Amino acid sequence: MFYWIDFGVARDCRIAAGRADAHHRSPILGLPVNTVELNKIRKSYDEFVAVDDLSLVIRPGEVYGLLGPNGAGKTSTLRMMIGITVPDSGMVSMFGEPLRRAHTQRLGYLPEERGLYKKMKVLDQLVFLGELKGLSGHDAARRAGQWCERLGLKEWTGKKVEELSKGMQQKAQFIGAVVHDPQFVVMDEPFSGLDPASAMVLKDAFLELKNAGKTLLFSTHRMDTAERLCDSICLINHGRAVLEGDLGKIRAGYGKRNVQIKYEGDARFLDDPKLVQSFNDYGNYVEVRLAAGADPQELLRAATACARVNKFELMEPSLEEIFLEAVGKANA
Amino acid sequence: MRNTWLIIQREYLERVRQRSFLVLTLLLPAIIVGAFVIPSKLSKMKNSKTQRLVVVTSTPQFGEIVRQQLVAGTKPGEGVSADADADKDKDVDDDDKPSRDYAIEVDSNSSELERTALRNRVTSGDIDGYLWLSDDAVAARKVTYYGRETGGFIEKAWLRGQLDRAILLEELAQRGVGGAQADELLKPVKLETMHLEAGRETKANDRGAFFAVLIMVMLLYMAVIFYGVSVMRAVLEEKNSRVMEVMLSSATSTELMAGKLIGVGAVGLTQIGIWIVMAGVYALPALAASASTGEIRIAPLTLAAFALFFLFGYFLYSSIYAAVGAVITSEQEGQQLQFIILLPLIVAVFMMGPVMRAPDSPVAVWTSMVPFFSPVLMYVRIAVQPPPVWQIALSLVLLVVTIAGILILCARIYRIGILMYGKRPTLPEILKWLKYAKG
Repeated sequence: MFYWIDFGVARDCRIAAGRADAHHRSPILGLPVNTVELNKIRKSYDEFVAVDDLSLVIRPGEVYGLLGPNGAGKTSTLRMMIGITVPDSGMVSMFGEPLRRAHTQRLGYLPEERGLYKKMKVLDQLVFLGELKGLSGHDAARRAGQWCERLGLKEWTGKKVEELSKGMQQKAQFIGAVVHDPQFVVMDEPFSGLDPASAMVLKDAFLELKNAGKTLLFSTHRMDTAERLCDSICLINHGRAVLEGDLGKIRAGYGKRNVQIKYEGDARFLDDPKLVQSFNDYGNYVEVRLAAGADPQELLRAATACARVNKFELMEPSLEEIFLEAVGKANA
Repeated sequence: MRNTWLIIQREYLERVRQRSFLVLTLLLPAIIVGAFVIPSKLSKMKNSKTQRLVVVTSTPQFGEIVRQQLVAGTKPGEGVSADADADKDKDVDDDDKPSRDYAIEVDSNSSELERTALRNRVTSGDIDGYLWLSDDAVAARKVTYYGRETGGFIEKAWLRGQLDRAILLEELAQRGVGGAQADELLKPVKLETMHLEAGRETKANDRGAFFAVLIMVMLLYMAVIFYGVSVMRAVLEEKNSRVMEVMLSSATSTELMAGKLIGVGAVGLTQIGIWIVMAGVYALPALAASASTGEIRIAPLTLAAFALFFLFGYFLYSSIYAAVGAVITSEQEGQQLQFIILLPLIVAVFMMGPVMRAPDSPVAVWTSMVPFFSPVLMYVRIAVQPPPVWQIALSLVLLVVTIAGILILCARIYRIGILMYGKRPTLPEILKWLKYAKG
C-alpha cells in the first residue's frame, strides 16, 4: 500500500529543467507545437486553493501522467485544461493557441466517474457524443460501431447503459472520449475500479492511440501505473507542481542512490549516518537510501565487515521515492 | 447552435421514446375523464328508484298543482313548467332536472291523525316520505319534508324551486289567474350579455371563457409541475451521474440548459398536442353542435394568448427549476424547494376568482402585470374580457424581460452548480456565484 505523507509544499520546487527548449518549436516553421501549456493557472473555491500557480507542458505524441494524492488538484487541473472551468488567473494554451471553444472538438475527455446517460442505448449515446464533437450522424455511428467491435462491446450496443457492467461502462465511456478521433485525449483516473482484464484492454487501446500519434494525458494516484506508461509526468500536491518533466530525466537527475541489500547477520552498518540517509526493512531485504556524497562501495565494505551479504544492487529510485523526496526537500 | 439542436433532439427523443411518456399521455386523459366526466354523468343519471311521496295539502286542487310541478319537472317539454325555450336552454334545464322520478299521491287530510298514519307508512316502507303543506305552513312559507332519505343538496334546491312555483301558481289561481296566463307571468328571465368593442358586438360567453381559462390554467400548472420537475430531475441526474462533465467538454452550460428547456418543453407541447387531438375527437360532435348555435366559441385572441402565455409561463418556471436542479444534491432537497417555486403560481391561481369577477379592477390590472402571475392572470383577463392592448403589451414585455433575466441568472447558477458536488450551497454562496460567473 502506498501512503501519502502530508509535507506541505513550497512554491519553487519544480524540477523540470532542460526540457521545454528541446521540443518546443515555433508554429511558424510548421514544426510540432506543444499540445498543452499551462502557465501559472490558479483556481480557488472560497478559501480553498485547489490549484496554485501550476505550470506544465505537454508535448505532442507523448503520454503524460498527472500524479498526486487524492485531493491534490488533479481533476481541477484537468477541468481547467479542457475548458470545463475557467482558471481564476493564469493561462491555458492548447495546440499553440489560447484555449478556445473550437479546441474542444479536437480533444476527448474521460471523466473520473462514469458520465453516461443511464437510460440511453450505448450506440445512441456514442453517436450523440460524436455528433457533439462535430461528426455527422453517419460517421459517428460507423466509428462508434468500429470501436465497440474493437473493445468487445458489439453485442451490447443496443443495450441501455445501466444494463452494462462497470467495466463495460468504462469501455463505452472510453469510446465516447475517442470516437471523434481527437488529437488529445484527457483521462481522469481511467484505470480506477477496473478489473485487470479490462484494465489491460484499455491499456492496449491506449497504446494504440499513442502509436497513432495522439497525445494522451491521464491522471492517477497510482505511481506504479504512471511509471509503466508515461513519458512525462507532473507530480502535484496541494495544487502545486512538485515535479514536472520527462520521466527518464527526472529519474536520472536523482541518480542511483538506492541500494537493495540481502544479508544475514549484524545490521550495524545501517546505523552509520555518513553512509545511510534512511532505510526500509522489508524482512527479506532492506532498501537503503544513501546519504549525500556517500560511496556505495564503502557501504558494501561496511556491510561485509559485519554481515554476510547475499545481494547488493544499486537501483533507480521509484517514482514514489522521488515524490516523497521532492516534497521533503520542498519542505526543508 | 448545432450543439443546442443536438441536445434538444436527444432530450426530446429519449423522453418521447420512454414508456412513461406513453403511459402518462394515455393515463392523464383517463384520469380526467374519471375525475370529471364520470361523477357528472353519475349525478345526472336518474336514480332508477321512483320516489313515492305523499303531498298533504288543505285542498285537493293545490295538491294537484304540487303534484304536477313535481312530476312535470321531470319531463321538460310537457306539463306546466315547460315553455318554448326549454330545449334551447339546455344548460339551464340540466340543472333544473331532478335526479329521480316522483310518484305523487295527493292527500288533503292534514289532521294530526293522518300525520301519524303517514309516519307509519314511511316506517313500513310503503312510501318514501311526505310533504307537509298545511295552510299554516304555506302561509309561513315553511314547508317540511319528512322522509327516510332527505335527499342531496341539489335535489333539495330543486324541490324548493318546484314548491315555490306551485305555491305561486296556487296563489295566482286564487286570484283568478290560471293556465297559460299564470305561466306567462312566471316565465323566468334569461340574461344574455353582449360584448361591445370597436362597434362590433360579440356574444359574451362566460361559460366558454370560464372553461377556456380553467383548462389553460390547469395545463400550465400541470406543465410547470410535470416538465419543470422533469427538467430539475434531469439536471440533477446529469450532475450526479457526472454526465455533465462529459457534456461540458463538448458544449457550454448555456447550450446545455437551453437544449434541455426547449427539448423538455417540446415534449410537453407534443403531449398537450396529443391531448388536444384526443379531446377534439372525443368532443367533436358536441363541438359541431355548439358551433352552430354559437354556444361555446373561443376567440382566436384567446387561443393565441393561450399559446403565448403558456410558453412564457413554462420557460419562466422551468428555468428556475433547472437552476434548482443545479444547486441541489438530492431529490429530497428538491421537494422542499419545489413548493417555493410553485408559490407564485399558486397565488395566481387563488387570484383567478377575483380577477374573473372584476377583470378591470385595479387589483386585476396590476396583478396581471406581475411577471410571475401574468401567465395565469393576464390570460384570464384576455379570455374573460380583453383588456386594452397596452396592458397586454406591457405585461408581455415585463414577462419577456423577466424571463431573460431569470434565464441569465439561472444559467449562471447552473454553470457553477452543475460542477459542485457534496454539500448544498447556502444562499450567500449562490449570490456569490452570480457575481462570480459573469465570464
